[in-house]
Amino acid sequence: MTDPVAKEPMAENREKSAEFVPGQPDMWAFVMFEALVFASYFVVYMIFRTRSPELYLQSQARLDLRIGVVETLVLLMSSWSMARCVKASRAGAFRSALTNALFTVLFGVVFLVAKVFEWARVIRMGFGLSTNEFFSHYFFLTGIHFLHLLIGFIVLGVVVYQLWSPGRRSQELIETGATYWHTVDFLWVLIFALLYVVR
Amino acid sequence: MSTAATGTVTAVEPPAGSPLHRIGWHWRHNPKRELWLAWWTIVAFYQLYVLVFFVLTRTQPPPSPGWDAARVVQWFNHNHDGVLIGFAIIFLITGMTAPPNALIAYSMRRMSVSRVFAYTYLVLYSLSAIPGMLLMCIVLTVGAMRPDRNANLISWLYDFAFLSFEGTMGVFLIGSLVWMVAILIDKNRVFPKWFGYLNLCNALTEVVVSPAWIFKRGVFAWNGLIAWWIDMVVFAVYTGVFIVLLRKMIQREDFGTGPLPDAARPLDLDLSEWAETAR
Repeated sequence: MTDPVAKEPMAENREKSAEFVPGQPDMWAFVMFEALVFASYFVVYMIFRTRSPELYLQSQARLDLRIGVVETLVLLMSSWSMARCVKASRAGAFRSALTNALFTVLFGVVFLVAKVFEWARVIRMGFGLSTNEFFSHYFFLTGIHFLHLLIGFIVLGVVVYQLWSPGRRSQELIETGATYWHTVDFLWVLIFALLYVVR
Repeated sequence: MSTAATGTVTAVEPPAGSPLHRIGWHWRHNPKRELWLAWWTIVAFYQLYVLVFFVLTRTQPPPSPGWDAARVVQWFNHNHDGVLIGFAIIFLITGMTAPPNALIAYSMRRMSVSRVFAYTYLVLYSLSAIPGMLLMCIVLTVGAMRPDRNANLISWLYDFAFLSFEGTMGVFLIGSLVWMVAILIDKNRVFPKWFGYLNLCNALTEVVVSPAWIFKRGVFAWNGLIAWWIDMVVFAVYTGVFIVLLRKMIQREDFGTGPLPDAARPLDLDLSEWAETAR
């Protein structure tokens, strides 16, 4: 059933690939694919923006840039604690890694609350998904990102589960989870720039 | 599992000769014939799918959701024959959706995961074919068969058909996630992990299509750039990838319960022994 001789090259390959990317290379395939999909959403947004720049500018002005900045900072903090988690885990400091992973969860929750607060504010101002093109894109992009973040909590759950017990602690899985989380963060920075900042 | 270890290996090579002769040999002797039959059914089904939906009925890419009743009636008149012929083909071949689902469920049975995954997938995808494909075929056929009815009724059928076809993609979401989880926790290496993650990409497109219920024009309408075109590209990539990976799985299949061998092997087992394990 198992052939140790045949397995060696595989393990070697895995080590080799680990030198190039942290975590499973498979997750990087996901990252690339999702980046392409999001890039196509962004291109569509930019094309439609150039068609009616006035409408987009006026609608954009109704968003509160301060909330966007706070959300971005919170998510960057979450990425920072995630990076500290990976670093600590690599050094064998699992308690510190766990604490940082839990901080990541906390920052993620703060982002979600801020996002729901922002949506409620925008809806109270009378803007919905079908109010105009800008707000359609706004609710779609922030909504699909929100969904990615919710999935991120499952991923963080896996990371915490791995760190919890000395019997598990797969460095590969921890780094794979971190890769996912950083991707979600990276996508938010692009969404923030497009929706809130670019004039 | 290892053939070298059994010591009872009889190398069996398919006979040379005409393609028909070789196909006949495989039909009688190849223990993977049911798997290959299911795989070729996928290939044949998707070719017919493209022919019917993209060429004959012109329902893909979808026509505009923003048309008034008169324009919808015109669309029915214009596509009358294509709709009837195309969907007649679909009604005849709907059964072809079963072997692909069965093969995907088989892939999960070959994994080191619970059988619950395969059964859940099978039930979900079998049910999904009704809102995801059949309803549109039935409803548009009704519209084409009753051209004398009130234009508003025809328009309602049109909305019903396309919203059921495009708007209910969510029914495939859980199935994709079930396959994803099975692949990610599988220890038999039936599929690469990146394909597990690709299932997530596909599942997410099923969410992206949901604004089609609200919009009658623009990028989120059922024919929109985001809700249809980008989703369709992701779906096409996903489908192409899983067809290739299922083919590789069949090639690698050794009818065991442990990890799937990395590379395809020739038919090097004694056939009776292989047939025995296949049972």
